[in-house]
This record gives sequence, C-alpha cells and structure tokens, in this order.
Amino acid sequence: MTLSELSRCFHGVIPSIIASADRNGVPNVTYLSQVHVIDEQHVALSRQFFNKTSRNIAENPHVCIEVCDPVTFEAYRLRLRFLRTETSGALFDSMALRIQAIASHTGMSGVFRLIGADVFEVQRIERVEGYLTGAASPADAISPTDGFRTELRGLQLVSERINRAEDLETLLAAALDALAVYFGFEHTIVLLNDESANRLVTISCRGYGGGVGAEVVFGEGLIGTVAAERRVLRISGLDASLRYGRAVRRELLSGEGGRTLRPEIPLPGLADAQSALVIPLTVGERLTGVLAAESRDPLAFGEWDEAYLGIIGNQIALGIDRVLQQEETDGGWQMADGAQKSPSAIRHLPSPIKRHTLTYYRDDDSIFFDGEYLIRNVPGRILWKLLAEWKRAGRTAFTNRELRLDRSLGLPDLKDNLETRLILLRSRLREKLPAVQIASTGRGRFSLVVDAELELVER
Amino acid sequence: MVSERLRKCVQSGLSIIVGTADSERVPATCRAVAMKTNDDFETVTVYIPAATSHETMANIATTRRLAVACSEVSTHETTQIKGVTRAVRLAPREDEAFVRERIEAFAASLESIGLPRHTTRRLAHWPAFAIDVTIEEIFDQTPGPKAGTALR
Repeated sequence: MTLSELSRCFHGVIPSIIASADRNGVPNVTYLSQVHVIDEQHVALSRQFFNKTSRNIAENPHVCIEVCDPVTFEAYRLRLRFLRTETSGALFDSMALRIQAIASHTGMSGVFRLIGADVFEVQRIERVEGYLTGAASPADAISPTDGFRTELRGLQLVSERINRAEDLETLLAAALDALAVYFGFEHTIVLLNDESANRLVTISCRGYGGGVGAEVVFGEGLIGTVAAERRVLRISGLDASLRYGRAVRRELLSGEGGRTLRPEIPLPGLADAQSALVIPLTVGERLTGVLAAESRDPLAFGEWDEAYLGIIGNQIALGIDRVLQQEETDGGWQMADGAQKSPSAIRHLPSPIKRHTLTYYRDDDSIFFDGEYLIRNVPGRILWKLLAEWKRAGRTAFTNRELRLDRSLGLPDLKDNLETRLILLRSRLREKLPAVQIASTGRGRFSLVVDAELELVER
Repeated sequence: MVSERLRKCVQSGLSIIVGTADSERVPATCRAVAMKTNDDFETVTVYIPAATSHETMANIATTRRLAVACSEVSTHETTQIKGVTRAVRLAPREDEAFVRERIEAFAASLESIGLPRHTTRRLAHWPAFAIDVTIEEIFDQTPGPKAGTALR
C-alpha cells in the first residue's frame, strides 16, 4: 500500500488522529488538522501551536496516525518516525498558505499560523481491518483515463478560444465557459489586479448569478491570500477546515489574544463551498489577477485539476495581457461581437419610463442608485463624468481618448486599465441598472444610452 | 469546570479516540464507541470495538496506560483523559443496547456536518471490550493555544 493510493485521505475532509508518547511511555491522543504528503516515504504534519504532541516527538520520535478515506470511509494507520521540523522553505510555505487562508476567513490573520512543518518518515501503512461492517456502499467510480482525454481535449479548445479572442470580455467568457463544459468547474471567478487601489476586482464570473465588480483586498480570504503570496491554493474539505479554524478562534476569544481578532470574512462566492482552487494569474513577475473555482463537492479538485487550471491560468494571464496591450496600443475598446453598433441598435426598455436617483459620494467616488450601491472608485468617476455631460449638454457620444486626457478621473499615466474599467462599468450597469447602458460605437468610441429619467445628486 | 467537562465526556454523540503505547513506547490508536461512568468519575468505562483494537488491547495488557479524547463534532471542544486501566473485559450482552445507542447518536452528529448516517452506522462497534480506567489527569484538548492545558 502506498501513500498515493490513499491520496483522498489527505484532503482534510475527515480529521485524522495522532497518538504519541513521551519518554516514559505515557500516551497522548488528539486530532490533526493537516497531513501533507511529501513523497511516497514522507509526510509532514502542521504545527500551529507548541503542544504536548510537539513535546512528545522531541522525546520519542514514534507516532501513529489514523486517516480515513472520505469516499469509502475505510481507515488506515500509518506508523511514522519524526525526522525534523521545517520552519522555512517550499514545504513550509505550501503548508502555511492553506492555514493563512483559513486564518484570514476566520479573522485570525497573523494570530493563527503555521509555526512548523514536522517531517516524518513513513515506516508502515496498514488498512484497519474490520473497521466497517456490512455491505459496502458503491464508491465513486473514477476513470482517470477517460477524464484525462476529455480534459486534454478541453485544454486544447480553451487554448484556441483564448488565442482567438480579440477583446477581454470574449476571452474571459470563453475561458470560463470551457472550464464548465470540459472540466466541470461550474462556479468560477476571474478578478483583475487594480494596482492603483491595491485590490482585486471581479471582472467575470460564472455560476453565481452576478458578482461583477465585487472587490477583494490583498491578503484577505482565499483569493486575497493567493494574490498576496502568488501561490496556488487548493483546499478540500473547506467546511471541516473552517470549523477547526472557528474552534481555535473561540479559544482565542476567551483569552488575551481575542482582542486582536478581526471579523470573519465570508467565502468568495458560494456560502456553502466545500472545496476551492485558486490560481494567481501572472505574467513574469507581474500579477494580472486571480482565477478561482469553487465547488460544493469536498473532493472536487485534485492534483490533476490543479495542474490543468494552472496551465489554463497561464494562458488566461497571457491572453489578458495581450488583449489589454493591444487595446492600449490601438486606443480603442471594441464590443464583444466585433461589430460597431449605433445607439439606436441598443435594446431600449419598454415604457413606462423609469425614474432613478443616482447619488455620487465625493469622498470615495461611489455611486448609489435609489439607495442601492452601484459602483465606485475610477469606474464610478467615469460614470459620473458621463452622466454629468449627458445631463448638462445632452451628450451621448464619448471617446476613450477624452477619458484618458481627463486628469480628474485619476487614471495612471501608464497601464491605466481603462478598457478593464469600462468593461467592469458596462457589466455592472447591465446587471444592476439596465436603464443606463454603455455601448461601443467603434474602436475607441462609445455611447451612453439612458432610458430613464435620472436625478443626479452629488454629496 | 472539571466536573462539567467530565460530564460532557459521557454524553452521547461524541467522537471518542484512544491512544496507547507498548513497552518500547511505540504508540497506537483506535476509535472508541462509547464511554460512561458508574462511580461519579472515580473511573470511566471506555468501550472499544473488538475488531479494530488488537494492538490497543495488547498495549493495555502490557502498560495499562490509556489516553482517551472526547470531542464534540460540530465545535471541536475536546477533553482528554489519561489514566491507568483497572479492569478489562469483553462487554457483556446487557451493554449492547447502550453501545448501539451511542453509535446511533454519533451517526446523527456526523450527519449534521455532512457525513451520511448509514455509513457511520457501519463503523465496527460490537462486540466490544469494556475498559475501566482510573482517571489521573484531565486536559483541555480543544484546538487552539490552550490545547494541552491541565484541568486536573
């Protein structure tokens, strides 16, 4: 029996057990938060606090752990011998990232963290005979060969569609669509790096019924942690990890450390997500954004999925870079279908005419419509400029160039990401306030289409 | 607080795990299925499935030492008891209903966090060994900075 045959046991879906003993042979038994497989002969156990198990292995290197397969529920015992504790390096960083992400979601950033990765040699693996009684339930039938061929084909098709895309919206829609069709990733998000605001902004998503424009702060939550650390994060058994994290949080709240704890952060998309796979999108040293996939299946993402999504993430990153550079060079933003449309071709809302009050708050450049948040920051400033011109002079035709020349919008001189901000604005309006639309009328030109009576209030 | 923690340890629905070591200090572990006290916690009786506890029972026969951790499934609140075995026997037939009731309660606890009840019911639980343990030490084993704090 090999560790790779037991890989599901190490996803963290079902907590593992560890028994140790001190120099006098007094036993100790507790649960493990993370067992990390290094290779077929070694595992690493995470250490978040210096505790009895840590003291025992310093006196007596032998431990026994029991792990459980979350699909078959069979149990296996591993006899381990402690070798060393790593406090830095690739292994430590990889294990620390998961704990960092869980700590962030449970408001314990900087308080709950990995202090060491205890490396053990695997001396023996044995199935616990007689652990389960009665007839076995059918386990998930995994056909690695079938999945492999389908996913390779999907990889090829995703690559082709990304390479053919001439604009950002088409590129992202094609990528997320292909991930759903060929890889079964039904819930995916792409966020772009808004360097000027030190945040990530959701620019495209699938399977959530909305969400474009949602922001993530660097270092916060799964997505923010991946963006800050520039490392891939794959978490299975997310619910189990969060329950463990909340148990630690309760203990900290009851002690002195409780004063430094922050509020919990909700999961990025699905409130009941059981697994997540989050990939940084980088071109060279530069972070372009983050691609995240979630699932309600605690075992949705394996090593293969991580490898494939990593490849697709690289292609998406390069594709985003190519499209944005091309649009900056050409000075224009073109509509998704490549056609130029006149404002009259834009779908108008049927009568009766709606009325909306749009309020612009100067201190954070946020815009609310009828009391509901719409957008803020640079896209907010852009929209307010357009609406003000429309109200003042009845203007509907605008150009990218005039936006770039308007210093009051605060666009950086280099890499202004104007196309991204316009796509974000357009998506938000389509989702939240369809009575106001932005439509391309040619490369570098667009129209503001208003099909309602608008009251503009500035505060 | 100690008596409250001990009372929680004998409630139903808990996850119970056992640790032992042989004469060479090599540890072993297994699941327990139930625990109770008949003498107000002077001793506790731990029920361990006969099918999965061969090594544990051998260690108890050699060293008599036992560690038992009782954990609330949804909150991870955990208490660890350490002590010396006073007596070991094959659990008598009249204890079977109690053990089955505890497995059913454990299955309900796991179902609340998404693990199917019918699978937990399949965990080996009978016949079982009943191990009487004299409590020597009690620890708070809840995950966190205070894990391992002695309660007695």
